Amino acid sequence: MTSAARHAPTRSAATAGRRFGLTFNGRLMAPGVVILGALSFFPLAALIAMSFSRVRLLGGVRLEWAGLDNWERAFSDPELWRSWGLTILWFTTTLGVEMVLGVAVAVALSRLVRARGVVLALVLLPMFAAPAIVGLLGRYLVDPTFGLYAWMLQGAGLDGDILGDPVTAFVAVALMDVWEWTPLVALITLAGLSGVNPSVLEAAALDGADQWTTFWHVVLPSIQGILLVALLIRSMDAVRYFDVITVTTNGGPADATKIIPLRLYEAAFRFFDLGYAAVIGLMMLVLTIAIARLFVRILSGKGARP
Amino acid sequence: MSATTTRPPLRGRASAAPSRPRGPAGAQNGRAKRVVGRALLALLLAVFLLWTVVPLAWMLLGSFKSAVDVTSSTPKLLFEPTLDNYVGLFTGANNLLPYLWHSVAASVASAVLATVLGTLAGYGLARTRGRRKDALSFWFISTRMAPIAAVVLPLFLMFRLAGLIDTIPGLVLAYLSFNLPFAIWIMSAFFERIPSSLEEAAHVSGCTRWQTFWYVALPLSRSGLVTTGVLCLVFSWNDYAFATVVSGPDSQTLPIAATQLVTQTGVDWGQLTAIGTIVVLPMVLVGLAVRKWLVTGLTLGAVTGE
Repeated sequence: MTSAARHAPTRSAATAGRRFGLTFNGRLMAPGVVILGALSFFPLAALIAMSFSRVRLLGGVRLEWAGLDNWERAFSDPELWRSWGLTILWFTTTLGVEMVLGVAVAVALSRLVRARGVVLALVLLPMFAAPAIVGLLGRYLVDPTFGLYAWMLQGAGLDGDILGDPVTAFVAVALMDVWEWTPLVALITLAGLSGVNPSVLEAAALDGADQWTTFWHVVLPSIQGILLVALLIRSMDAVRYFDVITVTTNGGPADATKIIPLRLYEAAFRFFDLGYAAVIGLMMLVLTIAIARLFVRILSGKGARP
Repeated sequence: MSATTTRPPLRGRASAAPSRPRGPAGAQNGRAKRVVGRALLALLLAVFLLWTVVPLAWMLLGSFKSAVDVTSSTPKLLFEPTLDNYVGLFTGANNLLPYLWHSVAASVASAVLATVLGTLAGYGLARTRGRRKDALSFWFISTRMAPIAAVVLPLFLMFRLAGLIDTIPGLVLAYLSFNLPFAIWIMSAFFERIPSSLEEAAHVSGCTRWQTFWYVALPLSRSGLVTTGVLCLVFSWNDYAFATVVSGPDSQTLPIAATQLVTQTGVDWGQLTAIGTIVVLPMVLVGLAVRKWLVTGLTLGAVTGE
């Protein structure tokens, strides 16, 4: 919120109207703000309270003060830190592949002269699929006895249960995420590419730059704002989503895919250790708020608009 | 970001790139390179298209296969199509109709509520200035991006206290926790794009603030309204993480039904691919219908489409 000061001088001519308008704006926002307040401040307060308590569910919900117990356990739990490590690995691999592949696909799409609309529509399809269904479909495709992809891999000499081995299971669930979300990166990048000034490209061509040089030194710098937006949007969702893993490996085999959200669900809804889960939840929240701040700062620094 | 987007053409850097011979031979070399580059991009796009479409096509085909064909150890492209899977889903002991109803009721109700409240609040936010706007914006965006796992945990506790577990209103409220901030943020982005001269003209000719909103701003943001509604619908329809925690036998949705088919002894992959098709197809249709504004919607207004 350091950007607040920057907006201050934008007060324009209609100041008198604004003074009335503020209450009008307030009234318009009131219903949404009240509901959202109930849905965000109460949970946050509850989450903080839970993190310092032992939560009993039987015979009515009760919180018993436990001091720093949950926090101490969380920070000294090597399993949890291993999960954070996995989360970072998951984060960087899926995001890395999605960004590179998405940009490449966007460049290819932008060169397409005919049937671009149809091809783009087909490319976008995975984005609309429910992540839980994506996970189940992935299971169907890599099933060792009748999976289409497993069958193709067996043809290439790779057999064995893909979701049964720690390494291939991790690769498989990461690829399912890549399958679903690369189209989003491509879509965002495509919007950026269509905003690159053609005269700049002409100038580069006149200077004798080949296509790769042009892309690397002219196109990429001019869409870097948009790429950053894509990266932030994806990184926020990467912390949010975990449906795919839940329905495919559920963290296994041997915890090889147990990223942080799964650890939280397990603690909360399998072991009913809700206080401990609340600590994990707060850790995740801090991370996303950091990303959100970055996002807002970039937006108010005005515009990744092409 | 404007610094990067308006950077002058990189003449200096481009000509500093390894200079190629400019003679006829060089031109030919350049053309050959360009042809190869174009071919590579086309190949990439073709492979990517296969990669995105094949799983969905395989799911669609599977839903029309008999129990034997769907788990055949060598994948079958030619088979006798049957409607058994769909018929089985809607007759049998485990009828899908209640799940379908829960899904439709919860996601439509939450999408409509979020869009209406989000439109009002979004307009208020778009016309607010200064420190208050920044604070509100940051709050909205961080609620939207809050990790599901961290939100669902205290919601579970609160819903238990309030008796909202396993009810459709509970599900609607849970979905509002991510749809409402999304709708506010995105509608405000759409409202910000309306030229202020239009609203000033309405103001000068004697319209009240409400009339300006209703007769000028709202009609101009019809596309934003539709996009917001559709995306909210997609998000809540596709949800698995909230439904798995706050829903029960009387409110379980389609993605939950799909995962339940797996945990029972022996998976009926024919029915599973059929449910998958039922879940994915409607969202693909409505999603592609708002394709033009998808970039704006999915980047929370940070990127403007064509």
